[in-house]
This record gives sequence, C-alpha cells and structure tokens, in this order.
Amino acid sequence: MTEASSLPLARFTIVEVNDAKVPLCLRLATSLAAKIAADLGADVLKIEPPEGDPVRRAPPLLSQGGSALFEFLNTSKRSLALDLARESGRTTLASLVDKADVVLFEEPASVATSLRQAKATPVEIAAFPLEMDAAQRPVSELAIQALGGLMHMVGEPARKPLKLGGHQASYAAGLTAFTGLMAALAARDAGHRAPSVRVSLAEVMQWVNWKAASGAAASGISPGREGRNSEFQILPCRDGHVAVVYTVTQWPATRTLIGDARLDDPKFSARAGRRQNIAELYAALAPWFADKTREEIQKAAQARGVPFGPIFSPAELLQTEQYMARGFLADMAHSTQGTLRLPQLPVQWNGRSFAPRPAPELAA
Amino acid sequence: MSERPLAGVRVLDFGLLTAGANTSAMLADLGADVIKIESGAYLDPFRVIGKIDSDEGWWNRSPQFRFTNRNKRGLALNLKDPEGQRVIRELAVHCDVVVENFRRGVLDRAGLGYKQLSAVNPRLVFAAISSQGDTGPERMNVSFGSTLDATSGIASLTGYEGEEPRISGMDVNYPDQIVSLFATGIVIAAVTEARRTGQGAFLDFSQREVASFTLGEEILAASADPDHRLSPRGNTEAGVAQQDAYQCADGKWLAVTLDTHDPSMAAFCAGKDRDTALKALLAKGIAAAPCLDGKDLLRDIALQGVTLVRDEKGGLVKGLPYRLDGTGLAIERPAPDLGQHTDEVLRELLGYDDARLKQLNDSGVTSTTPTIGEV
Repeated sequence: MTEASSLPLARFTIVEVNDAKVPLCLRLATSLAAKIAADLGADVLKIEPPEGDPVRRAPPLLSQGGSALFEFLNTSKRSLALDLARESGRTTLASLVDKADVVLFEEPASVATSLRQAKATPVEIAAFPLEMDAAQRPVSELAIQALGGLMHMVGEPARKPLKLGGHQASYAAGLTAFTGLMAALAARDAGHRAPSVRVSLAEVMQWVNWKAASGAAASGISPGREGRNSEFQILPCRDGHVAVVYTVTQWPATRTLIGDARLDDPKFSARAGRRQNIAELYAALAPWFADKTREEIQKAAQARGVPFGPIFSPAELLQTEQYMARGFLADMAHSTQGTLRLPQLPVQWNGRSFAPRPAPELAA
Repeated sequence: MSERPLAGVRVLDFGLLTAGANTSAMLADLGADVIKIESGAYLDPFRVIGKIDSDEGWWNRSPQFRFTNRNKRGLALNLKDPEGQRVIRELAVHCDVVVENFRRGVLDRAGLGYKQLSAVNPRLVFAAISSQGDTGPERMNVSFGSTLDATSGIASLTGYEGEEPRISGMDVNYPDQIVSLFATGIVIAAVTEARRTGQGAFLDFSQREVASFTLGEEILAASADPDHRLSPRGNTEAGVAQQDAYQCADGKWLAVTLDTHDPSMAAFCAGKDRDTALKALLAKGIAAAPCLDGKDLLRDIALQGVTLVRDEKGGLVKGLPYRLDGTGLAIERPAPDLGQHTDEVLRELLGYDDARLKQLNDSGVTSTTPTIGEV
C-alpha cells in the first residue's frame, strides 16, 4: 500500500464534531462523510463527548465487544474526547477548528452557532430543510424515509408501507455531505472563498425519490407501492429468491429464456398487456425459477442479456466472486477484534483501492 | 455567491439515465460547463422512457430527461462514425472530465476509451460508472435499477417480517439514485489532484459496490460472526425499542419511532386522524412523520427545500440535494433538445466554420432528430 501522504486528500484537515445528545440518524450521516474523506487521506479528527460517541454502543455489536457500526463509520480517523459543556472543552475545540479546512457538525449541536462562524468551512448536517425551521423536531431514520415519500413506494398497496433496509436516509445524506465537502475543498484549493454546506436528510431523501414528484406532476397520480401488481417482483428459487427485472426491450429475450408456451399469448406481447395480466404472467414465470439455484438463474439470464437479480445477504456478499476479484472487501487488522473484513470505498482510482485503517479507541 | 466551486471545469458527458447523467448534472450545479453527447442513433433512454406523445419533437419532451439534464448543453454526434469519433477526440482536448455509464467496452471500441482520450489529454479525469465495475468476472453483466437492490444485499433486509425480500422497484430504482451522490465527490477530488499534478485519473465505479457500501456495518458484522444472519425486518431497527408505520383513523399511515415499548401505539393512532396523532406524538418528543406520497411532496413547499425547481419554460426539474451558502439552484438553461448546441459548441471550442458544420450535418454525423424508428 502506498504511503498515506500520497493519498488524494492528504493535504486537508477536517474536524468532525460529535456533540452529546444529537439524534443518531444525524450522527451516522456526519460520520460517513468524514470517514470517506479519512479513507482518502484527509487528517480527520473526531471530537467525542467524554463518554464516547453513542455509536460506539450501537448495533450490530461485535461478539468481542464493540460496535460494527462504529468500526465501519470511523475508519482512518483520529479521536479526541472533549467535554463541550465546559468552557475549556469549547476553547480547545475552537483552536482545533481554527487550523482545519472543514468542520463537520449537526444542526442541533450546542456548539453549532459558533462553528458556523469558524474560519474552517462549515459542513452542517440537519434533519429538515431550513424552510421548516425545525431544528429541535424529533427525528429518526424511519421518519425521514416516511417524509421523503420512500416508504410509500415499498410494500403491498393494501398493507403498511415499508422502509428500505439499512440506514439509507443517513447514508444517502452522508454521501451528499461528502460531495458538498469536496466542493468546499475544491473552492479553497483554487483560492476562492468556499461556500458553507448544509445537508438535510429530508431533502436528500426527496431528491433520491424524485420520480415520486416527477410522476405525480406529469400524471396527477402519485406513483406508489404496487406489490403483487408490480412489473418487477420477487420469485422463490431452489436456494433463495430472485428479483425479476427486465426492460421493455429485454422482454423478447426474457420470454425466450423462460421458454413457457403460455408466454407466447399475444396478451403478453406489449407492456400494457403484461401489466393487465400480471398475476397470470408471474404464474407462467414462476416454475422456471422454482427448480434452479440463484447461480444457475443468473448465468442463464446474463447469457441472454436479461438483468434478473439474485438476492444475496451481507454474509453471502463476503464470498462473492466479483467482490473477491476486485478486492472490494478489505481485511483490516484490528488491535482487539482480530481481522475484520469490510467494504472499501466503492471506487478504484487508476486501479487503486483505499484500504481503511481501524477506527480510533476513545482517548482523552 | 462568489465564483462557484467548479467554475472553469468542462465536462464531456456521455452519462445516460440517472447514474451517469445525474453525476454530470451535479457537476453542472457546482459551476462546471457540461456538454452532453448523444446521437441521433442513440438517445439518452430517458428521452424514450419518458415519451408522453408521438408528435414531432416528442424526444424533447420527456419529464425524466428534463428533470435530470437541466443546466447542460447538448450535442448530437454519431459515435459509430469515424468522423464523429474524431470530433469527440478533438473536444476531449478541451475538457477536464469525462462521465460515462455505457456497458463496458463500448467507448473503447469507438476509440474513445480512457486510454485513447488520455493520450490526447493526460489531465483528463475519466469517470466510468457501471453495474459491476471495469474488472472482474461479472464486468459485462447487465443490470437495471432494482437488479442491484437484489445483488447488493439491500433487498435481503427489506420486506415484511418473516416474509420474502423486497426491492425498491421501478419507480425508485434506489441503487441508481445514490451513485451520483458519491461519484460527484470523487470526481471533484480527482479534478483538484489533476490541477495540482497535471495528471488525470481513471475512476472505476461499480454501482453494486456503492449499494453494498451502504450496508458496510452488516457486512463487517457478518465477517466477525458467521452466525450474523439477517432477514426482512419490517420497519423495526436493531437498537430501537419499537418502530413501525401505523394506520390512523383517516386511513393514512404514520411512521413512529419509540425509545420505550408502548403496546398501545397502534390503538392510539387508529383512534385519531393522522395530523392529530402526529401533533400529539411530536409534542411528547416522539419521532413521528407522515408517510407522504408524490402529490403530498409537490404541495409541501417547506419540506421540498431546494430539491425541486422550475426552469424558464415552467417545467419542474430536479434541484439540489444540499445547499451551498444557504441557497438553492439557479436553472440557467433547461435540458437541451437533441443536438441543440452542436453547432454552437463546435464553433466555440473547435473553431469550425459554416462549411465544416454543413458537411458534418449532410453526412449524418450531427443531427437534431432521431434516426431510430417507432419506440
């Protein structure tokens, strides 16, 4: 591995401020943005409350103690515990931020007002848009997926709406904050005044779910969860499940692949007819899947250019041939946890990956 | 605002649909000059998917295309024609960034891959966004949106408790939406490096990896503990006492997150209209939010923040996922008609004259109408 000094962000210093009592979904977004910069070589100093970032105690937990969530989100950073309720803690913070290029913090933090005035460029993570004036409104990952219209899109129409798995509201905002941070660094680097950056989870979720608004504006009808009426559905196979996905132009190849005479019925030849007869269509598709493995299905489908998606669990992804071949998963030697395998940044830069270094211990 | 962060950066944009076209749109939002390349023989599929009528010029009216390609200039150049390829190589000399999300190998075969373009411009940052990345046994695999919900692991954690996994579906295609949020930042990092060192970079993005990256802690936990098995968990979340969507007396759904277990929550919501239940819960310091739909989002101007904006023709388009110096996005130009700026850009950057432009048009290298048939 190349020296840290040759990493692309090695010239930059970033302070990530964890104030006490900030909603967890905001903390995760801030931490993800700073982690990406740290893995790219920025010197990231994470300020934690004396009892530590609450994410240190958040699931999924590791069997030897510690949190997988914390270990993932805080790679390649340094840490310093400061009590921001005390004057001395705030003074130390101010001097650290003075020397940094960027400071990341959350809107409800007690120190937010002073950090917005810092010499370092402020990157602020909030729950809601400025226009809502709702800095103190209670918030959660689920609340953001609801408010952003994403839950309305997932599940059966007659049953409750569902969230997408994982911390998608937090992480989409974290990716956004990273890009905002890079825009600020690029401006500083070019000798311009850098713009302050504000990212709200609710805005990011709506932006990601833009087809809900564009669909409603175009047709007057809100797109919504279609479940068993959807063109794309999940079918069981011999060793799991497969997502049935194909575009209009891929339908003839899909029909040939499945090879069931029932699919030759003219009512299935156009998209409108397939939608009108969706239950019958899936009844004709299902038997082909039932006696095959995910691997057999993927091979046969890809051979015809059909994008069916076998469903893998996180544990199975550890064994995925494609991820092994690309070195997407890094083995990270951890002082107390042994070797941990985790995803690296999802980019290869001139063929190079960015190996993460273990998250810091809590130190005063 | 003072000079924008990417002022002076020019992008040669082969991006299609969301993953590619939105990455270059985000670069345009930051001040880059983005020139989008299509051809009469190969339109951005969003022009076709979003077809709303069959009248003359239908390819310029797709809402999805308009949403994603505002603030760009548009060129139509035939990439299969050696003359079109030559023009693009000339353009690449004047650009800082290439964004593309073709299937692997397409641009290489046209003589327009990273190797060929970096030979004429070593400072070029070349962002290749693909389903599986540029290497590995699955590099040529096709996917479409929700294929990657499945293969990335997200679907395995999504669904009703104890039932089969679920995908985000064709009206969301979630993995397509998040890649540009990450890729844009990496492109900016590479542009600042190229300014400093004079050396560009080949950036290889796998959309599937971006989606799996959002489950990093679950993959890490599974590596430490082979018994870390997961399945669809409804609306629950590890470490959260109680969390679900509850139906209210008016039939509307309310999402609620509780720090302590409360078996009466379903009955509480069922006995009140959603707005009443929402106010009562927020007043108690409980995180609650309505499950909104597209029409709700269009109505709620405060909630929209800077995410939606109208272009000069009054069309609704995509805004920003963040705000810089507190402001949203100014739409300087609506999404381009097919080939709208071909002549303008070839004059400006390459100094082509009328005779040369006419010759390109007469030979079908440039165009403003699709050559594809009925779609």
